[in-house]
Amino acid sequence: MDEKEKLEKHQTARRAFLGCLGGAAVAGGAAVVATTAVLPKKAQAAAIGAVPAVPAIPGYDWSKHHWAFGVDATKCIGCLRCVEACKAENEVAGDAHHFRTWVERYVYLEGEDRARIDSQADPVNIAASGSEGAYRFANRYKDAKVEKAFFVPKLCNHCTHPACVQVCPTGATFKTDDGVVLIDHSYCIGCQYCVQACPYGARFFNPELNVTDKCTWCYHRITKGLLPACVEVCPVGARIFGDLNDKQSPISQFVANNRVEVLKPETGNAPNVFYVGIDKEVS
Amino acid sequence: MPKHIARLLLLLVGFVAVAITARNYITDKSFYKYGHYRGDAVAEIAQDKPKHQGSAYCESCHTAQFAEWSKGIHDSVSIGKVVTCEVCHGPAGSRDPQQRFINAATGRVHPNNLKLSVPADTRPLCTVCHEQMPGRPLQQAQIVIADHAGTQQCTLCHNSHSPRTFVGSLGAPAQPGHAAAGKNKTAICAGCHGADGVSTKLPGPTLAGQNQAYLLESLTAYKTGKRTNALMTPMAAVVSDGDIGNIAAYFSDQKCKPTLNAADQALAARKAGASVCTSCHGTNGVGTDQAWPNLAGQSKDYLASALKAYARGERSNVIMSALAKGLSDAEAENLATYYASFSCK
Repeated sequence: MDEKEKLEKHQTARRAFLGCLGGAAVAGGAAVVATTAVLPKKAQAAAIGAVPAVPAIPGYDWSKHHWAFGVDATKCIGCLRCVEACKAENEVAGDAHHFRTWVERYVYLEGEDRARIDSQADPVNIAASGSEGAYRFANRYKDAKVEKAFFVPKLCNHCTHPACVQVCPTGATFKTDDGVVLIDHSYCIGCQYCVQACPYGARFFNPELNVTDKCTWCYHRITKGLLPACVEVCPVGARIFGDLNDKQSPISQFVANNRVEVLKPETGNAPNVFYVGIDKEVS
Repeated sequence: MPKHIARLLLLLVGFVAVAITARNYITDKSFYKYGHYRGDAVAEIAQDKPKHQGSAYCESCHTAQFAEWSKGIHDSVSIGKVVTCEVCHGPAGSRDPQQRFINAATGRVHPNNLKLSVPADTRPLCTVCHEQMPGRPLQQAQIVIADHAGTQQCTLCHNSHSPRTFVGSLGAPAQPGHAAAGKNKTAICAGCHGADGVSTKLPGPTLAGQNQAYLLESLTAYKTGKRTNALMTPMAAVVSDGDIGNIAAYFSDQKCKPTLNAADQALAARKAGASVCTSCHGTNGVGTDQAWPNLAGQSKDYLASALKAYARGERSNVIMSALAKGLSDAEAENLATYYASFSCK
């Protein structure tokens, strides 16, 4: 066998090998395509077919609602009844470190160019309430020269493009069709990517249960025609909740009749909590 | 087919089989139903039981307290303030704390072995909203605790369900007086308040038909010096506590008469911007509570002078001073004409 013959035989073998490899790739690819094609069909059948594509919540159809929340900071008196009601309604740990909703106080003192900011979790305020499970703002600025001061209630913004949902590796947190971002605690693995991703600090980790938690707009209440607990107890009407699909609802009226703004619009999350009466320093 | 290729294919088939099995048996059936999450989770979260039950729930048993509350300032939808029962008493429902976050549908609701708190110490509770504090909006009623009542309980004077209703304990005799006994003591009053308490152009207000509790409180305030007036202070000083009750009873028993004619009434109705007054003094000038005076039947001159006195700070009252501040004389006249136009009772 001369050199040329040897080379030809070698090339033939390589061609055969490559041919085989190609065939295998096609076969494998086809198998993968076949399996994945089957699955969406099932899902599509569920969506189009006899089974209605809404969760089985008695007397409630999520396709008919588009919830949104309003905060009128010009009315807030910082009584923190919302914070206590939220903790009770949702069984949030009764300490000063875990809150689904909270209230911040912004105080501008004469001669200072930045606001002093505290919330109910501040040690001074906890000392004033006398307990980690009860909340009140200490009257710490009563003798100070206050230029201006106001309270800002905060909660999960239930964003239209939630960063927390995007980073969740298990599908434990998701956006419902009626506009609420929820957490499926049975799927949460406690990795806390979502806590990091949220630009608003709305999420916290519950070390007792090893899951992340946050505001649900009291999903168990709004699906029964009730208001979220914080809105229910707000004595001055600083918290507004309702259905944007209903033009007469309090939130539609609130958004229509006020120049509303959202927190950190530059993050692109498109929040659904609309604020009135906050200052430039609030974010 | 070469052996190693066959192995490769076999492995691939194996992987696909595992993937399908995992998808069908390990992943929840409802996953991907609505999106990249477990669809059943939505209904599970929604089935949780509400803890806050709303005031209507409380009304079913506590009708008397509910009635007090629904008449008072703590239930004022018109000015956007509604302090529901659960704001102060806490939620009426509870869940099993052992099953936190698991969306347990179990739970107790008051009164089933679940007691709600009736705050014994009202000061820390009321001042959560009503302590004067930088940052609180002006429309919120606020007090400086030390100046207002010191260490006394709020409920000493205020009805907690309807705080602008005052408990009759401002140092005044609690028992209502006897009208007949009071008549003998009122000769001296007629000079300014008119015979039988009807005053038309005289310096004093009409007392006939006025709320007894208000008369009692006013006379006591003059006697104790809480309220001062050049004419009234010396008069009240010589009246005994018992007589104050009797005099109040006598005047509130008398019939009053309207002081304006029909033409004036029609004029007045157009002029006034009295909406802020109506929550206490009623839409027709009849006080919504015994503690507030009736304005119906008062002379226009008296009402105007009283309003101007509040506006100038010559007369002071927690609520009236704040409301009348900045009121121009013309506005005071308009309001006075408006309320003077109502015939009393």
